[in-house]
Amino acid sequence: MNKILIVAEVKNGEIKKNTLELLSFAKSQGLETDAVLSGSGIAEQADVLAGQGASTVYLADDASLEIYNTEQYTSLVTDAVQQSGATQVWLSSSELGRDLCPRLAARHGVGALSDVTQFEVNADQITAQRPCMSTKVIQKCKFSKDGLRVISIRSGFFTAEETAPTKANTVNLPIPAGHAKIKVKEVQVEVSDEVELNEASIIVSAGRGVGGTEGCDFVKPLATELGAAFGASRAVCDAGWLPHKHQVGQTGTMVTPDFYFALGISGAIQHLAGMSGSKVIVAVNKDPDAPIFKVTDYGIVGDLFKAVPVLREEVAKINT
Amino acid sequence: MEIIVPIKQVPDVALNIKVKDGDVVEEGLSYVISSWDETALEAALQITEDLGGEVTLLTIGPDKAVESLRKGLAMGAHKAIHVKYDDAKQTDSFAYAKILQKVLEGREYDLILAGKQAQDTDAGLTAPMLAEFLGLPQVTNIIRFSDVSEKNITLYRKGDHATEVLEMELPGVVTVNDSLNEPRLASMRGIMMAKKKPLEEIELDAIGVSADMSGAQGSMTETLQLDKPESRKEGKCFEGDEADTVKQAMEFLVSEAKFLA
Repeated sequence: MNKILIVAEVKNGEIKKNTLELLSFAKSQGLETDAVLSGSGIAEQADVLAGQGASTVYLADDASLEIYNTEQYTSLVTDAVQQSGATQVWLSSSELGRDLCPRLAARHGVGALSDVTQFEVNADQITAQRPCMSTKVIQKCKFSKDGLRVISIRSGFFTAEETAPTKANTVNLPIPAGHAKIKVKEVQVEVSDEVELNEASIIVSAGRGVGGTEGCDFVKPLATELGAAFGASRAVCDAGWLPHKHQVGQTGTMVTPDFYFALGISGAIQHLAGMSGSKVIVAVNKDPDAPIFKVTDYGIVGDLFKAVPVLREEVAKINT
Repeated sequence: MEIIVPIKQVPDVALNIKVKDGDVVEEGLSYVISSWDETALEAALQITEDLGGEVTLLTIGPDKAVESLRKGLAMGAHKAIHVKYDDAKQTDSFAYAKILQKVLEGREYDLILAGKQAQDTDAGLTAPMLAEFLGLPQVTNIIRFSDVSEKNITLYRKGDHATEVLEMELPGVVTVNDSLNEPRLASMRGIMMAKKKPLEEIELDAIGVSADMSGAQGSMTETLQLDKPESRKEGKCFEGDEADTVKQAMEFLVSEAKFLA
């Protein structure tokens, strides 16, 4: 019988939206679902997973699991697969999922489908769609052999229902050793209360056109006033005007918000691949031939330094 | 330091990609080294320039894949291995990782440096699968490295909420994010020298890859069809004084797209 094991992700001690989306989708399909939850000081979050439909939560709560690492997580999920009898493992295609999904599949001697944006489960088969070739092509694919199904799913394509936590049925997993050959020297956490790119419903992004750190500071209040995440193009991050965590695109974060504002972004192919799945795209750029205008719903040909203050005024009017 | 850089020859995705009858139209495609692989090669060249040693390119592909190997040699790689292979269409990451494992077993190397994903599939599966098959540690998506020696390398991995600074004992598998560097261009001299560099050709059966390990038989997943994504509907464009155009755009955003509703 089919059973799904969802690999839960946490940030700041709370279950992330991408995990809730997967649980909600599994529930909507009437699938039996367990979850594996690992981290440090996160045990009570098992109830959130139970509230979203996880029958059993396999729990690993240990200081060594505070930051994701390949070896311990591969061992933990493998342990949870065996104990739960799961036939499918669903991960998010976050940086955690991108690292873990192939390693986990290989450990089980099976293949994987990664960064899936649509899929359906028929008995033990999964048929999926995933963007490839910089989102210029959609690949329809499925598994061709028997065995454990391992897939990673892009966030933002399924809706997480609001549910109340319920008392979880938990199983504690023994804490495996980390990799003897990898030592964590430092974790450079960029602490912020900013909205995260892959969880935002609105993103305001700055491109080369902002001209420097001052230009970023000029644009940022618009993001704050909209409750939006603040994104950037690769050019902006490589120039050091903003840290890399702001980068939108195949090299940074793949995003699919409801509204994406591209300010001074010309639209390099890897940026377009990373944001063209946004529901509504607004762009401001001086160059009417900029590639970004090929994907925009509302394109403003003009100077962002003149446009942003007007945008802020208009937003203020709506918000009051 | 001996570094293996697996590279993949892929269609240039910056160009227009046509799709017909569930497949990509071959005509008009131009083939290049997957860009993340070039980033990996650049990193490998920098390391060997500092520490000595050699960079070996490795590709699995048809005859024309030699062009990509020659380009990598022209950039500065020392030698290349071409695993001759014509079954690409039916082959998934799992099968590629298994073949790479067969090629690398019994060879001496300190580091495998790969792109974080290939530009054709955008899957990002092969390198970590290879690491598992070879029993090696992996660090993916690095944006920086430092303190490289024959024994260790310090890697800066861009994780979801932090940059993780990890020291990995070699040998190991590392995948790179293209923020890492700007790959060099091949010089005229490099192009001339590339013609004389060693290029080893390998047939699958010579390394013990049987028919059931390659192509569709050796793959765990299959492509059913390839399509164009749904095209976005034609957008509205506003030109003129920003004080007016922004207001006009905002009116549509609110009325049509229900912005901030």
